[in-house]
Amino acid sequence: MNYINNAAIIKRQVMVRLAKLIFDDTLKDNIDLIPVLMTPKNSESVRCCIHHDRAVLKSRVKVLLGFTAASDTQADEVKLLKEYAGDAEQQGEDRFDDRILTVIDDACSACIRAKYQVTNACRGCVARPCIMNCPKKAIRFERGHAIIDENLCVSCGICEKVCPYHAIVYQPIPCEEACPVNAISKDEFGKEKIDPQKCVYCGKCMLACPFGAIMERSEMFDILRDIKNRDKMTVAMVAPSIAGQFNTDFGKIVSALKKLGFDKVVEVAYGADITAQKETEEFIERLGHKQTLMTSSCCPAYVQIIKKHIPSMRSYVSDTYSPMIYTGEWVSNQWPGAARVFIGPCVAKRFEARESAYVDNVMTYEELGSILIAAGVDVVECDDQEPDKSASIIGRGFAVSGGVSNAVLASAASRGVNAVGKPINGINNKTVSLLKVLDKTIKEPAFIEVMTCEGGCLNGPGVTSSPVVAKKFLDKMLK
Amino acid sequence: MSKKFKVSICSGTTCYVLGGAQMMLLEDCLPVDIKDDVEVVGSSCLQKCHEPNAKPPFVQINDYVMESASLTKVIDYIREHR
Repeated sequence: MNYINNAAIIKRQVMVRLAKLIFDDTLKDNIDLIPVLMTPKNSESVRCCIHHDRAVLKSRVKVLLGFTAASDTQADEVKLLKEYAGDAEQQGEDRFDDRILTVIDDACSACIRAKYQVTNACRGCVARPCIMNCPKKAIRFERGHAIIDENLCVSCGICEKVCPYHAIVYQPIPCEEACPVNAISKDEFGKEKIDPQKCVYCGKCMLACPFGAIMERSEMFDILRDIKNRDKMTVAMVAPSIAGQFNTDFGKIVSALKKLGFDKVVEVAYGADITAQKETEEFIERLGHKQTLMTSSCCPAYVQIIKKHIPSMRSYVSDTYSPMIYTGEWVSNQWPGAARVFIGPCVAKRFEARESAYVDNVMTYEELGSILIAAGVDVVECDDQEPDKSASIIGRGFAVSGGVSNAVLASAASRGVNAVGKPINGINNKTVSLLKVLDKTIKEPAFIEVMTCEGGCLNGPGVTSSPVVAKKFLDKMLK
Repeated sequence: MSKKFKVSICSGTTCYVLGGAQMMLLEDCLPVDIKDDVEVVGSSCLQKCHEPNAKPPFVQINDYVMESASLTKVIDYIREHR
């Protein structure tokens, strides 16, 4: 679940400051001041001192400009933010690659390797089952307490089970624990590194890290440049989960986007309507060819999981495009040459958009919210407006777990094809194992919807609202 | 009978994005001991975010304006002042 926390708020504060400078055309003059303004002299620091805080903030700005947090050379380490801003302008799209998420080394606390720790509830008993049963001889006894050697411990957990006082606790490394595909691990210095070959861009590590050390490389620099350019048409393609992200109705969000500088606002739920229809046709056709199983394909992180980790399942994933792609295609035909910006809750969409010819940039609700603050646009005070392309309630339902499978199964049933399908709601280690054998466990015709985020897109990594609040607004739109 | 505490939650975009989203759950998570004393009302922007060094999200409890508000801070304040 997406809980509000201080690390997320600091990130948004940086976004607001950066967006403000871009709106005011004072980026190069003032960008290097952001870390100093946010942690002025003699202010209270969050980390060891304000200089550490400032170093982390500098990296955050760099990532928000679209770069990775890594400094490969010494020259990179002393490079000013205004120089990075210049690079962003010059390099444009070329600065992006498949490293969607990046770890800020200065922020990563290098959590201890061993996942088990002896607490001071240890009574130094005579039995000492922890020492007796540790298969790696990783526990020793010092000053009346058991101590685990983190270099020897393999985190098997036996000591925790055998301690009669429950004095040994399991303390996970949050990012590693959250990653469903083991794509994040420590380097020789204990700092976390993301393996781009394994990463599926789900964003779970980013949400899990209590130090806010993992960030997604933002495209807000490019998006703001486009919406400020009055000669260029920009189209906002908003995902259905936007309902409730700003504590108000959809119509007001439409007019807030226009105030911000978007020329057109299109519901991605329109593309979801097309996806639902095409996916149903594909499903019926596949059943006709004696196949029994098909899964959804609209969750890009799920598609990456199959591609990178469960290739045996690949033929079962629907070939139908996602709602974002169909919407982008429609926009491209309607307004050729326009900048097409997908606005959603998703990190993995960034990768999907990069591979597609129909979408230029992606921004999250969190980024949109910060940009609205920077522009001084209050959504609640905007008037109601209709989007330039709206959608049915079927497409809007894609934002919650079960929405896709309800649409496809109901539409298939109306054509006399009956099938089952219990959605897979949220990807974790368990559901990944389930997916590995899914084709062997399904006997009757089934359409399985898979959503990487538990609850669906409403609970994506880039949301601003509590999913509970957002659900209330979405329910209203589905009536 | 009017309730003892009138809580206005700022629903302006600034407060909402910078931590206020969670505040919308206040009514549902008021503990039983104070529930009957509290009236939660929605509010448009309280206009506090325009001040320099403002610390959103803002919540107004009767005449008191709380900065960097959170669910627990509001509940604690009410318990202290009843």
